[in-house]
Amino acid sequence: MQRIAVNPGKVEWSGENPGIYLKADADQDYSTVALFFRIALSPHGRGVGAIILGDPDTASGYPTVPNLCLTDNRVMMEYLLENFASKFPTFVGKAGVEAMSWHDITQSRQDNHNMPHSYSEELQAGDVKVQMTWKDLQAPMAVEVGPPESATKAHDMYAVFLEARDAHITINGEVLPGRVVDRQFFGRTMSTAFLAISETWVSPS
Amino acid sequence: MPIKPNVRTGAIDWTGENPGMLFKTDPDGDWSTLMLFFRVFWSPVGPGNILLLYENPAKSSGMPDCCNVIMADNEELRDYIKTGFIEKLGTFCDVPAYAASSQISIDSVTSDGDPCGEFYSETIKGGDLEVKLVWQGLGKPTALELPPELTGTGEHIMYSLLVDSKSAYIEVNGRRLEGAPVAREQAGLPLSTAFLYFSETWIFPDK
Repeated sequence: MQRIAVNPGKVEWSGENPGIYLKADADQDYSTVALFFRIALSPHGRGVGAIILGDPDTASGYPTVPNLCLTDNRVMMEYLLENFASKFPTFVGKAGVEAMSWHDITQSRQDNHNMPHSYSEELQAGDVKVQMTWKDLQAPMAVEVGPPESATKAHDMYAVFLEARDAHITINGEVLPGRVVDRQFFGRTMSTAFLAISETWVSPS
Repeated sequence: MPIKPNVRTGAIDWTGENPGMLFKTDPDGDWSTLMLFFRVFWSPVGPGNILLLYENPAKSSGMPDCCNVIMADNEELRDYIKTGFIEKLGTFCDVPAYAASSQISIDSVTSDGDPCGEFYSETIKGGDLEVKLVWQGLGKPTALELPPELTGTGEHIMYSLLVDSKSAYIEVNGRRLEGAPVAREQAGLPLSTAFLYFSETWIFPDK
């Protein structure tokens, strides 16, 4: 990526986008893929949301299977899903994306005061409570990528990543099965749980 | 495996949001009001919020005489940002108000509005103070990646998302402070001295 002081592209959104990808069997595909969004700026306003696919390959939503999206800004979340999350390699082609149930958030709470030991996001939508917890956070690293390396293959992206050596997701207190595993990420061996903060996506001009 | 060139090898100093307002009552005169707000998501001493507000930068006094204050909800972070960052910004540290500012705890911070809309605001409460910061006349969001020679400290590489603001104001307990933003230039862009900076990361130069 050519480093230029002023990116001439169109800013799409900016905020936080941590994720947790879990495997129940280390030799199989992910058993759970989940992303959290806290958006400071987008064409559809600010907001928070999460996509949890606890059964990614099943075309059903919650409560049949733990495939659900929670948000306080549906228009923003639809934009993020259609243009970004659904294009991420871990979400592409997953039947749960189209079939997941949607829930309006009534309460949300971030707990960042125990970093680097742990960090959590809790979302309440009626009688559904989702908690995402990242543990044992490592030193942050700043990343900038162009379209060839970005998750959508279409954008410039700036972000700060913190690897989490452990993570889990609960829905109404029930832990989704699976564990984090190692993967190659920007040339480093890192776990599949991470905080992504100060993240900005730009459509190249 | 080797680290690819799109990973910065320099350590991160801090990352978060860093909007500000620098006001003048006379475009040819000195600053009448200075403000920086920090919402830090990560630093080596934890996250937190800091407000640096000088109602009168030239006055060597704090509360209750004058609203020259440094408010924070993480004292260790406040001291880290003061010594490692603010003291490299001459506009904010080379004025009598810096040493004289009252240090006050933040009880709450509330954001409102939309940085792509008509206005954006932060309301900071602590002690007996309610400080409302309002940015209006908001410009197109612009992603920046500045080398050290273009940053305020002159030492860091900085990523940021700039939203320029053509008009802005500050209220302290409902009382509006004097002054208005003036023109400035950053990285060749004609801008105002009222600005929002989101997703801002300060990085020490690559090893």
